[in-house]
Amino acid sequence: MTAITLNSINKRFGPVHVLKDISLEFNKGEFVVLVGPSGCGKSTLLRMIAGLEPVSAGDMIFGDTRVNDLEPRDRDIAMVFQSYALYPHMDVERNLGFSLELRKRAAAEKKERTSHAAGILGLDKLLDRFPRALSGGQRQRVAMGRAIVRDPQIFLFDEPLSNLDAALRIEMRIEIAKLHRRLGTTMVYVTHDQVEAMTLADRIVVMNAGQVEQVGTPLDLYSNPANLFVAGFLGSPKMNFVAYDDPALNLPSALTNPSAQTYGIRPEHIKVTAPDKNAHLVGTIDVVERLGSDTIFYINHGADKPFVVRVPGIDRTAIGEKIGCQFQPEDLHLFDQDGQAISEHKNG
Amino acid sequence: MTMAQTSSSGNGRGRPLKRFQWLIEPYLYLSPAIILIALVMLVPLVVGVSYAFQAIDLLDPFTTGWVGLANFEKLWADRLFWKALTNTFWWTLGSLFFQFFLGLGLALLLNKPFAGRGLVQGLVFLPWAVPAFLSGLNWAWLFNPIIGPIPHWLAAMGIMEKPQNILANPDLALWGPIVANIWFGIPFFAITLLAALQSIPRDLYEAAAIDGASLWQSFIKITVPFLAPTIAITVMLRTIWIANFADLIYIMTGGGPANSTHIISSYIFTTAFRRLDFGYASTLAIALLVLLLAYAMLILKMRKHLVKGI
Repeated sequence: MTAITLNSINKRFGPVHVLKDISLEFNKGEFVVLVGPSGCGKSTLLRMIAGLEPVSAGDMIFGDTRVNDLEPRDRDIAMVFQSYALYPHMDVERNLGFSLELRKRAAAEKKERTSHAAGILGLDKLLDRFPRALSGGQRQRVAMGRAIVRDPQIFLFDEPLSNLDAALRIEMRIEIAKLHRRLGTTMVYVTHDQVEAMTLADRIVVMNAGQVEQVGTPLDLYSNPANLFVAGFLGSPKMNFVAYDDPALNLPSALTNPSAQTYGIRPEHIKVTAPDKNAHLVGTIDVVERLGSDTIFYINHGADKPFVVRVPGIDRTAIGEKIGCQFQPEDLHLFDQDGQAISEHKNG
Repeated sequence: MTMAQTSSSGNGRGRPLKRFQWLIEPYLYLSPAIILIALVMLVPLVVGVSYAFQAIDLLDPFTTGWVGLANFEKLWADRLFWKALTNTFWWTLGSLFFQFFLGLGLALLLNKPFAGRGLVQGLVFLPWAVPAFLSGLNWAWLFNPIIGPIPHWLAAMGIMEKPQNILANPDLALWGPIVANIWFGIPFFAITLLAALQSIPRDLYEAAAIDGASLWQSFIKITVPFLAPTIAITVMLRTIWIANFADLIYIMTGGGPANSTHIISSYIFTTAFRRLDFGYASTLAIALLVLLLAYAMLILKMRKHLVKGI
C-alpha cells in the first residue's frame, strides 16, 4: 500500500524553480532516504510533505487523501529537525508530551506514552532535565522521542545527525535503524551523507538540482547507477571516470563500446598489477592513504583528476612507483555523451 | 642555614604590610570610579534626603534648620499628597496597560514580513523621538475644542454631549495626559518586544505546528514564555519611568484643574520650583522613592522566577 504519493510536485520561490515535476511513491512502512548535494531541494521536498511549505503545483497524497491544503497538524506526521527544535523552556518530559498536551489528553495517557517513548530511547533518567542541560546526542534522542510519542503515520527526518560528532552519528544511525524496525512506520529521511543513505534506506531517492536522478535500493543504485551523477555521488571513494580517448587507457576491444564517452570504475573494483601491456591503465602513484583496513592509491595517469584505487589490507607500494591497474569487464560502467548509463552493459 | 634564617625573618617582618597591601590594592584601582560615583550619586542623594528633615522654604527664609519628622507628619495629613498618590496609580496603570498591549500588538504585526517593513519600523519609532514637551503641547491642542478635532469627533460619535475640553474637567482631565503618554510610549514596547520576538527560533513554531498547536496555542506556549523575561524587565522600567514622568502632566494640565491631575512627581516639581518649598518636596520624593523601590524588588523577584526555564 502507498503511504505517500507525489504527483508532479513543483515548488517555486518567486522566479526560482526549486523542484521540477517530482513524482514518487513511498510504500507503507518503507524507509526512504532523500539524498543529494546541498541546494538540490531535498529539504524543501520534506518540508512540503510536512506541510511547512506550500506546494506550488502538483498533488501530494497520503494514502487516498490529498493533503495539499491540510495544515501540518492535520497530516498525522512527526518531524525531527536538524536543530532538534526542542522547547527550551520545557523539561524533557513536557517536551516529549507536548503534542498530547496540545490535544488536551488525560494526564495518565500522557504519562504512559512519554514514559514508553523515554524507555525506548533510554531517556528515563533525564525526564526532569531542561534541554540546555543535555548533550547533543541526548537532545537528538528527545527530538526522536517527541516524534515517537505522537505515534504518527509518517516520520520525517531533516538531516537529524548532521550536528553530531562522527562517533555519535554512527551510534544514532544504528538507533534510527532499530527504531524503524521496531515501529515499522513509514519514514522519510533527508541527508547529504551517502553513508547514512546506504545504511538506513530501503530505497534511496537521489536528487540533483530540483530533479530526481534515480530511485532504487541502495545496492541497485551502487551497482547500476543510471547516470554519471548517481555514479559519482554514491560510493566512497568516488567512482573513477576516464574519457574513452584517454591515452593511458588500454582496454581490449571486447570491452569497448563505440557510443561510450566515459568509462566508470569504482576504486574497490581495481586490481593492482605490473605496469605491462596487460594492464588496463598505467600511472604513477602520487599519494598513498593507509587506513589499516584499506590502502588507497591516487594514481597520476596524465589526466586532471587522479585515478583512485582501493586495495584491502596494507600495501607497501610506495609513492612514485609506476603501477598497472586491471578490472573485470562486469565492473566497468559505460556512459554515453549525455552522461546516461549504456544499459546493455549494466549487468553488474 | 644562616641564609635561610635571615630570609625567613625578613619575610616575617614584611608579612603584615604585604597582607595589608594585598587587601587594599584592588580598592586603590577602583578608587577613581568609587570617588566619582560617590560624588555624582551618593552626595546629592544624601543631601537631598537630609532636606526632608529640614525646613527649607525660600518663601519663608527665616524659619530654617532641622525639624525632625515634621515634614513627614505634614505629608500624612496632606490631602493633596493622597490625591496625587491615587492619580499616580491610575496614571501609571492606565498608561502602562495600553502602552504594553498596543505595543505588543504592533510588535506582532511588525514581526510578519510585508513590503516596506523597514520603513514602517522606522516610522513606528517616531513618537519616541519627539520631545515630550512638543507632544504634550500637541495633544493639549488636539483636546482643545477651539483648535483640535478630538472633542468634535467624540461629540459626533455620541460619546460626549457637546465638544468640551476634557482637560478642563476635573473628573476626566487625567485621561488627557494618559492618552498622550500611551501614544508616546507604544514605540518603546513595540521595538523591545519586536527584538525579543525576532530572537525566537523559527523552527520552534514549525515543531509546534507539527505537534498540533493552533496559532493561539503557539502564542501562549512558545511566544509568551520567550517574551516573559523581556516583558518583566521592560514593564518594570516603564513603570518607574512613567511614575516619574511629570512632563506631559505639567505641560498639558499643570496639575489642574484644581490640583486634580497632580501625580506625585509633578507635585514634587510644583512644590519645589513653584512654591519653592524644598524641604517638603524632598519629603514627597522620599515617599515616591520608597514606593518604587518596593515595586522594583517585587518585579526583580518575579523575573528571577520567570527566566528559570530559558
